[in-house]
Amino acid sequence: MATTFVSDRNLNFLLHEVFDLASLAEHPLYREHGRRSFDMIIDATLKLAKEICLPTLREMDEQPPVLTEGRVEVHAAVRRFMRECGDGGWIAAGFPHALDGEQLPQMLTCTCRYIFAAANYSLSVYPFLTAGAARLIANFGGAMLRKTYLPPMLSGRWQGTMALTEPQAGSSLADIVTEAVPMDAAATKAGSPYRIRGKKIFISAGDHDGVDNVVHLLLAKIAGAPAGVKGISLFVVPKLRPQSDGTLIPNDVAVSQIYHKLGYRGCPITELEFGQRDDCHGTLVGAPHRGLFYMFQMMNEARIEVGAGAAAIAQAAYGAALNYARLRPQGRALGAKDPDQPPLPIIQHADVKRMLLFQKAFVEGSLALILQCARYMDLEAISTGVEMEKYALLLDLLTPVAKTYPSEMGILSTSQAIQCFGGYGYCEDFPVAQYYRDVRIHPIHEGTTGIQGLDLLGRKLVRHNGRALGYLLAEIQATIASARNTAGLTAHADALATSLDQLDAVLAHLTVVAQSDGPDAYLADATVFLEFFGIITIAWQWLLQAVPAAAAEGTARTASDRRFYAGKRHACDFFFKYELPKATALATTLLHPARPTLETHARHF
Amino acid sequence: MNIIVLVKQVPDTESLLEVDTANATVNTQNVKWIINPYDEYAIEEALQIKEAKGAGSVTVVAVGPDRSEQALRTALAMGADTAVLVNDAAAEGSDALGIAKVLAGVIKEMPYDLVIAGVRAVDDDGYQVPAAVAEYLELPLVTAVIKQELGEGKITCHQLVEGGSLVVEAPLPMLFTAQKGLNEPRYASLPNIMKAKKKPLEKKRLADIGLDAALVGTGSAKVAISALALPPERKGGKMVTGDTPEALAAELVRLLKEEAEVL
Repeated sequence: MATTFVSDRNLNFLLHEVFDLASLAEHPLYREHGRRSFDMIIDATLKLAKEICLPTLREMDEQPPVLTEGRVEVHAAVRRFMRECGDGGWIAAGFPHALDGEQLPQMLTCTCRYIFAAANYSLSVYPFLTAGAARLIANFGGAMLRKTYLPPMLSGRWQGTMALTEPQAGSSLADIVTEAVPMDAAATKAGSPYRIRGKKIFISAGDHDGVDNVVHLLLAKIAGAPAGVKGISLFVVPKLRPQSDGTLIPNDVAVSQIYHKLGYRGCPITELEFGQRDDCHGTLVGAPHRGLFYMFQMMNEARIEVGAGAAAIAQAAYGAALNYARLRPQGRALGAKDPDQPPLPIIQHADVKRMLLFQKAFVEGSLALILQCARYMDLEAISTGVEMEKYALLLDLLTPVAKTYPSEMGILSTSQAIQCFGGYGYCEDFPVAQYYRDVRIHPIHEGTTGIQGLDLLGRKLVRHNGRALGYLLAEIQATIASARNTAGLTAHADALATSLDQLDAVLAHLTVVAQSDGPDAYLADATVFLEFFGIITIAWQWLLQAVPAAAAEGTARTASDRRFYAGKRHACDFFFKYELPKATALATTLLHPARPTLETHARHF
Repeated sequence: MNIIVLVKQVPDTESLLEVDTANATVNTQNVKWIINPYDEYAIEEALQIKEAKGAGSVTVVAVGPDRSEQALRTALAMGADTAVLVNDAAAEGSDALGIAKVLAGVIKEMPYDLVIAGVRAVDDDGYQVPAAVAEYLELPLVTAVIKQELGEGKITCHQLVEGGSLVVEAPLPMLFTAQKGLNEPRYASLPNIMKAKKKPLEKKRLADIGLDAALVGTGSAKVAISALALPPERKGGKMVTGDTPEALAAELVRLLKEEAEVL
């Protein structure tokens, strides 16, 4: 069977024809790289994904992790993949040369993760969680922490996790109660040992036998710390504590349960008890009470990865549906009367094409936004001053969108993949049922959709006097301008401009609401606003793709390239006809004076 | 120990191939190119031998157009030390013997103790090039090797044959071909991909190896492909009808004789 879990043609198009990845290599930070090494890296990633990740996709779903005598057993593929990603340099790919990394641009590391996630999302999580945790230690940890933890983590021997959530606190981190007590009362500086006591829930890869140790990047409150988020500190808490002679001893971290989940079953989600025997040691990372600030450095990246993961799963589901639709004969053209005529492959029916176009428009639009964010990370890394601030703010503003649009729409997209299979899709014989289950976690983990809405409307749009939005509007206006000069795209350019007017009207209205009725009223429909904002953002990403595709379609040398660019044109048309108009309906909702969600009291249900 | 590995770039077996009937060839315009998978076993074995010896070099050699450089770079990213590509329009259209002449021409200029090749290439599936190279270089040949042990000036190979394996000994230098099962090829790592860019890749023409262009290429090929077609599409099944087992059997025999014409 042809590889269908990812489209390398589309990856090439986005990386090179839309986002001009190779231009980054002109900058000293990336001067070691170039088109040839980029292509080799993508090829090597595809090979690994195809040969190690994809074959265990189903098995890892059918044989989820088991908790036996306090230890979590996972599929053998986990150890193998962690070693390949460690030895092969994939975990350290984005790390600087000084830490033995390859200093790859984020656009490329993001693409690699996308490829692994499309092949087997659960498996892809282990190394990249480790990379995220290692990055926190690299950025904020002291020399001792870096020396002790980075080599085994970057080589895939030790797992990294993020331990934030607690049973009583959930999304509300201000309410965490895990406690850290200095072992030496006088020492509160970075690197000093603390005794940790508390409970964490929903910790991905919180324990497993695919590695030799697990390192938790854990949020806790130092005894006597200020209340709320300003009293949260970040600690490194290993499952096994490294001694000065290099040996490892148990660090009083226990797995109290693993969760039985709807999907994403290849990765154990654990409940962890720290310090039940009062012998759990943790090392402070950076300064006390700065934990949340540090954690959010990792969290923003993790949120974009979640969006990428959702798009990747939907990409694989779309690939499976497309393959099936080409092969499955059923029914005849609506006007055909002769029952003796052979049935048509279902891909020829308009309604099936609608379902496939929906998936294509979603997947490729989302992936473009993810790579757009990665590009802003890269540009931020190579610029200074006002330019650097611009890219940082753009990234900040788009993060909740890049996390949420793919996650929420991924559910609908994988659902449409099932629909293409009909009854067979609802059965577990084909992978689409698994994709549908696997994708459902994404609107929940790393900040729920509700949290993302509050983040966008309550923080990202208003901070820095709204400069972030100004930068984004300028980017979108530039795309509209280039689309106006492109034959066939003027109507789309006008439609997107109209959407920006709607955005302006909605924000003006919300500003009045905030002033007159306060934050509850302002934020009541934050999730709806995020959906509205997301659709407009993806429309921009489609226009951004349509401009180079239109130019290339006329000059393409091969028939397959012409087909590819025509496909881009049709998917863009689809988005502007079927998806963008939904923003108008959402604008109507957002401008509507009624407030049922505020006025309905709990007793009214 | 200096080891030479023969590498061929072939279409990815997952590529959808279109037949170019007019030219009796495959339309390669949209093909994704990879290293012949059997050559990966050969490269891996060479790397393992070099690593075990702690010294020596692995050189990968290919004949082909510009795009073949990609396959050689990938071999360098796996860990090979140097690469040689013979890229000459005059060699295009060569049959297996023509390609083998070119390869033998390059190799005889180089110092080597061992030559390893894939047992076959998954595109033409000819099995001929390595054997012909061994012949031109007057080297002992062992095909389809699934295990080898290097000794002083000799090598013991386990050769896969139908129903079992033969243990064969040959003096060095020699050429053996790698069969599936010999090892598990490593993946190219990111650090090695970055290093591969800087490793030497030498490009040669026929003149550089002193080979007369008239001896290779389409003109001298002894084998020509006259036509190329996809296998016929499978036709629908046929239900045999009849009231009794005897009648069904009789009808089946009749169909096999008259329609399928196999009896």
